[in-house]
Amino acid sequence: MTSSLDTREEEAPALHTTCGGIEFRNPVLTASGTFGYGEEFDALLSLRSLGGLVTKGISPQPRLGNPPPRICETAAGMLNSIGLENVGVEAFAREKLPFLRSCGTRVLVNFFGTTFDEYVDCGARLAALDGVDGLEMNVSCPNIKQGGIEFGRDPTVLGDLVKACRAVVRKPLWVKLTPNTSDIVSLARACADNGADAVSIINTITGMAIDVRTRRPKIATVFGGLSGPAIKPIALRMVHQVRREKIPIPICGIGGIQDGIDAIEFLLAGASCVQVGTQSFVDPASAERIVREIEEHCRAQGVSDVGELIGALETGK
Amino acid sequence: MRYFDARVIENRSLGGGYFVLRLGGCESLTGSRPGQFVMLRGDWGRDPLLPRPLSLLSVAHEGRADLLVKVVGKGTALMERSPPGSRVSVLGPLGNGFPVPSADVADLLVAGGVGLPPLFMQAESAGRLGMANGSEMLYGARTSRDLVLLGEIRALGIALRLATEDGSLGRRGRVTDELEARLDHWRAAASPRRLRIMACGPREMLWAVGRIAQSCDIECYLSMEEQMACGIGVCLGCAVAARTRPYLYVCKHGPVFPAAEVMAYAPAASTSQSEGGAQ
Repeated sequence: MTSSLDTREEEAPALHTTCGGIEFRNPVLTASGTFGYGEEFDALLSLRSLGGLVTKGISPQPRLGNPPPRICETAAGMLNSIGLENVGVEAFAREKLPFLRSCGTRVLVNFFGTTFDEYVDCGARLAALDGVDGLEMNVSCPNIKQGGIEFGRDPTVLGDLVKACRAVVRKPLWVKLTPNTSDIVSLARACADNGADAVSIINTITGMAIDVRTRRPKIATVFGGLSGPAIKPIALRMVHQVRREKIPIPICGIGGIQDGIDAIEFLLAGASCVQVGTQSFVDPASAERIVREIEEHCRAQGVSDVGELIGALETGK
Repeated sequence: MRYFDARVIENRSLGGGYFVLRLGGCESLTGSRPGQFVMLRGDWGRDPLLPRPLSLLSVAHEGRADLLVKVVGKGTALMERSPPGSRVSVLGPLGNGFPVPSADVADLLVAGGVGLPPLFMQAESAGRLGMANGSEMLYGARTSRDLVLLGEIRALGIALRLATEDGSLGRRGRVTDELEARLDHWRAAASPRRLRIMACGPREMLWAVGRIAQSCDIECYLSMEEQMACGIGVCLGCAVAARTRPYLYVCKHGPVFPAAEVMAYAPAASTSQSEGGAQ
């Protein structure tokens, strides 16, 4: 005979979570730019096992991307300067979305523009598509009208951009914040104040690498975005900073997650869900494994609901 | 294409930093074509982070696969020290591969240094089809120490011509000098068979081979390498400028390209060879 206590202990921990107006079966998503349009990974893991996926960034028109070399490996990480290459809204809707509609997981579409109007146009068109559960704005794009400074670096510019997109996007709208700032909290607040549903923290950190033999930068555009486990402590710090300031919208944590324990660190720091990025290059089945590892951790720690972990960090202050 | 765990069953040093990793448990690679590659990563923690693209050298029955590797950085140095029994993760087979051997075509397989594997596998494939004696392999490197697996190549039944820059073995000079000499020979012999060139090696060598092929109007295929993180067309790191569209991807559209597709954009400046690229 099994006592009711034993039964409870054997119950699988609840992994479902809600972030930015979207319910996920578990807190593990895959990050934009590291998971293509989903179909590339269909043979490598069960997409249905994931909380969700975020597509490659989409712009109103197709983009060709930067000249090679575009990537290089660095200590426990990599630099990339792909140049936001993508198929554009129309081809995305026609060629990529049919697969995503039936892939069995939540689909967020990452998007961007090079002007305010492009952002608004792109956001409106993508949000209108059936099969898109939500949008994630990439604001690490150079603003041509303001001398090429990223939209996402100035809280005022960012707030205006979020407001303009919010007015036309009637689905969950997340904003992926740049870490290339001295004040991540002000950026997150600008998003919350202007109607964003969540913030994704963080995008890549600007860096560079040099080939000492040729005395040239290792990537053609000189600077690139650093990702991988090398950036995890910075990402965690920024998630925690935003959480600590009680910004009233949830956080999706991103940056160097390699396993379930990394993911749980982000949940404790205050993220409601996480995205796995560069690790999908290292181990293409890692996102599915990370879901299992979170579940195992919860069992081992007697956590019955993953929600108990969110923001449960104790700093002693 | 599968993602699976394999084990090192033999790790044979060839000297000069070259070694052959023999993997077991690679049933998923059965039927791989010459020129295809795998992304391989050992159980070595967070650094180096990314898997390494490696061309297949040979794929046999019972799940055995051979890879020829040269130590050029951290990842390959760790592979060199992998004892039998080591676990490695493998994603493959990836990419397209060379055209299949044909009875009415004489293939000139041009290998530079560690660019040997796909051409070795092509010669092996020609041997299986009984066509090895109709083709030639031209294999060049800096020194004789960089010319490896010579006995194994000859055992495939293909004519082998060597070149070293220091003259320590074969023709003194570059493999492209040998290629020009062989083209002169073939033209003089007025063979009824059509000539075709397939090449893999350093970028500068590929451009030189491509230029020779263009000047002689000979069909030519180049196996390219570029830094890549994923191997499956997702990271978009391995872009090469192309003729029919702005960029093609080494992992997805290649690594083997018709020379005409990539030659129009052959840069004048030399590029460095490093570990992230498919060998």
